[in-house]
Amino acid sequence: MKNKILFPVLAATVSLVGAGCATNAHYVQTGGNQSVVTIGQINIQDYMQAADAMTGELLASGALGRVANPPAVLAISRIVNNTGQQIDIDLLTKKIRVALLQSGKAVTTTTMGLGGTAEDPMAQGLQQENDFKSDVKSTRTPDFTLSGKIIQLAVKAGNTSQSTYSFQLSLTDPKSGLAVWEGEKEITKQGTRSSVGF
Amino acid sequence: MKTGLFLTFSGALLLAVSGCKTSVNSVENAQKTGQRQMVSDQRAVTDKKLYNRVSIVGVNSTMTPGGFLKVQIELLNNTRSPQPFSYHFEWFDSNGMQITTLAPVEVPDQIQGGEDKFVSSLAPTAECRDFRVKFIAN
Repeated sequence: MKNKILFPVLAATVSLVGAGCATNAHYVQTGGNQSVVTIGQINIQDYMQAADAMTGELLASGALGRVANPPAVLAISRIVNNTGQQIDIDLLTKKIRVALLQSGKAVTTTTMGLGGTAEDPMAQGLQQENDFKSDVKSTRTPDFTLSGKIIQLAVKAGNTSQSTYSFQLSLTDPKSGLAVWEGEKEITKQGTRSSVGF
Repeated sequence: MKTGLFLTFSGALLLAVSGCKTSVNSVENAQKTGQRQMVSDQRAVTDKKLYNRVSIVGVNSTMTPGGFLKVQIELLNNTRSPQPFSYHFEWFDSNGMQITTLAPVEVPDQIQGGEDKFVSSLAPTAECRDFRVKFIAN
């Protein structure tokens, strides 16, 4: 008898609570504290934090200011993805590039890329055409190259999962081949399941 | 029977509570070599609960060799349990206009019970003169 009454009441309560928690699609601030946090993936706020922290470190180091003809010219080299997921490296590098450009300390070349592949093939073609027509070369060789790696370290204890994402970057002076600045930002997330909010 | 249940419940509660308690001991050099350039600050508190738990001890700033403003804020956890929070910096130029760079980065952080820690940030451009930092309880 008790079960016959208790069960419907309990079921109704659970469905009410469930409905109360459901949210309709809505906009949230990108990377804000209402963002979805997952343990097994790099979330947008992780890229934002890593890019912000490393850009700050790079600017504070003053390495970009040590060029004969400022602002420094930067070329993006290889950034290795050593995580278990497919990621677009531009989610990290573009933020750094934009921040460096806005700082006035560096500009990034889009006509030089790894293995001769240009980010902007049209600009590269026009530049080569100009260089061919003119005696003076317009191409400015990069003062620095930016390379790096993203590493994921996942561990589990019982139901609790933990992932550490290590964002590593090196700024190399191609003339000397020496890394003049190196930065690392580690982000660790722990939990039993994904959640909304920090 | 009831006593057994009570004891089990009390034990579990005690374990749960003690598991959340943290405390930090620290040591530092008494004779400081570096002098902090403290900034007189203006505070707006709407989350008194967070402010009472994690108080702002002081704000200091410096200019980097590259001409960027760097701001550091000292925080103190007045409780004995870890306090998760997030913060983000806003920057303003000499005309008081906000420097809109990329999307503002909210940095999640945590301060241990009784801990005194610093959070800092570097201005995105050399034009930044003023700043504002927002703290949100997580």
